[in-house]
Amino acid sequence: MLNYISRRLNLLLINAFILTIIAFLLAQWSNGQSLTDTNYIIDYVKYISAILQGDWGSSIDNRLILQQGLTAFASTLELCIISFITAALIAIPLGIFAGFYPNHFLDYCIMTIALIGLAIPIFWLAVITTMLPRLTGITLPIDGGISPIFEVPVVSGFMLIDTLLAEDLYQLNAFYDRLAHLFLPSIVLSFFLIAEIIRLTRRSITTVMKSNYIKAAYANGLSKTRLVLHHVLKNALPSIIHQLRLQLSTIISFAMVIEIVFSLPGAGVWLLNSIKEEDYLALPAAVLIISGFILLFSIFIDIFLMIISPLKRKSLYVD
Amino acid sequence: MLINYEFNEDKIQSPLQYTWSIFKRNNIAIAAMWVAIILVMIVIFAGYILPNTPTTQVKQLLLPPYWIDGGVSDHFLGTDDLGRDTLTRLIQGIQLTLGGALLLTLIVSILGTIIGATAALTKGLKASILHHFLDALLIIPTLLSALILIAIFGPSYENCLIAVSLSLLPQFIRAIYINIENELNKQYIIALRLDGAANIRLLRFGIFPNILESMVSLLNRIFSLAILEISTLGFLGFGTQFWDVELGALIASSIGLIFSSPWLVLFPGIAIFIIVLVFNVFTEGLRHAVIEGEDE
Repeated sequence: MLNYISRRLNLLLINAFILTIIAFLLAQWSNGQSLTDTNYIIDYVKYISAILQGDWGSSIDNRLILQQGLTAFASTLELCIISFITAALIAIPLGIFAGFYPNHFLDYCIMTIALIGLAIPIFWLAVITTMLPRLTGITLPIDGGISPIFEVPVVSGFMLIDTLLAEDLYQLNAFYDRLAHLFLPSIVLSFFLIAEIIRLTRRSITTVMKSNYIKAAYANGLSKTRLVLHHVLKNALPSIIHQLRLQLSTIISFAMVIEIVFSLPGAGVWLLNSIKEEDYLALPAAVLIISGFILLFSIFIDIFLMIISPLKRKSLYVD
Repeated sequence: MLINYEFNEDKIQSPLQYTWSIFKRNNIAIAAMWVAIILVMIVIFAGYILPNTPTTQVKQLLLPPYWIDGGVSDHFLGTDDLGRDTLTRLIQGIQLTLGGALLLTLIVSILGTIIGATAALTKGLKASILHHFLDALLIIPTLLSALILIAIFGPSYENCLIAVSLSLLPQFIRAIYINIENELNKQYIIALRLDGAANIRLLRFGIFPNILESMVSLLNRIFSLAILEISTLGFLGFGTQFWDVELGALIASSIGLIFSSPWLVLFPGIAIFIIVLVFNVFTEGLRHAVIEGEDE
């Protein structure tokens, strides 16, 4: 167990090193310096010590990049978490059903939904969704993160928590307003996630259903609910979590695109505006923040998986 | 009736013929295959089948499609806000998006197979360095790496293709690497090794026939991601510039008209949807045929 954790920490260090090199090269490029002019090892050490002290430079309009980036990414993460919870609640039961009764009529229906969800371009679905409030007559906001009448102080960066903390200012109105702004974007993102989770769950469940211990459990006369809860799900979940971890960077990419369509302040809008204003110092900051988050989260999930499934302990590499 | 039982001349089919004979039974997959072939034909011969030139502007702006009141048969899918024919621009968009994605999948798969196989069959420091470097590249989200490359090299269609392929290449290499690595531990590979097979022979006769199924689904995944990412970058304005428009850029250019003429947004989106759907159904049928062929 200690061996496994030390291996993962080693991996974390090496990957963090490679990431900082990429960020350093980007920062050098955006400052307009070429590497041959100066001693780049000294430059790299200077850059890293500046990063570690929290001095990430400032953008063109004189705002601190570190705070800007963290706030933007927290907003993206909020969208991802909400959509993920919604999608998991809908998709996992559907996926279990489809995997449990392969080639059933409902299985075909569920898999068709999953195929459609995978094939629809996500930004197009977002554009179509912005038409929905006008066509159906429901009043839902389609752009912005929160109404400009609320001035919520930034504490954690997660707007939902901030609005709850600022309850003495606006009661719960700001919170509901934020929820309404997140409603349509999270529906679009969870549509993609539902398709993905259904596919992963079904594949994982069908693999487990073929194994011998399930046949043995059948022969012992276990009821179906007991079979699913005690045998199938326990063995299928680790590989579902593992596959979803690999999808994390895709999910964040899609969240960023959706933010741009709904002009929801977040990492996507921040990066797009920075590139359009030719403020390229945002790029190394984004690499460090977003990829650093994905890296830490992956290691965390790996250790979590090792705790719940002993089979993983043998694997040498992250795969 | 005279039946010759003694000389039963059943020819043994080659694996390819056998897979094809299983694939033929799947009607939906066959239909998808034909649509895919038609789409590829459109890509190749787009220059000859365009109904109008893409830049010709007529005086009737924002015409609806032919089957809606006010449409004219000269412009089957209507015209846009500058009076350009929608069908022409759509075909041109399909040519750029689908053609780009096909080219990109081909290049990524060839390069990825070579690098992945080399990494899996070499041991020691070289493999380790490659492994960690790929790990680091994998945790940068594809959109972010595409944005970085485009910020450095400037937006153009070619750079968009290069950016997407560079962000998909690590995924492909990693998947191929894991597949080959899993195969290498199996006993028939060890038997081949003991027979003295060189690496090329090992790959050709030992490993590739056994990872065919995951190769097919991997290629499908890379292709779908390529289509979606090329059009996403086009949508964000980092793809094609000026007159050449691919499907994402078509959607972006008509977002402002979504209420006055929604079909300008609908058609390119439906085109992307159909392309991805058709290729997915086709490869899924192919994958099933490969699995069944292996089972029997």
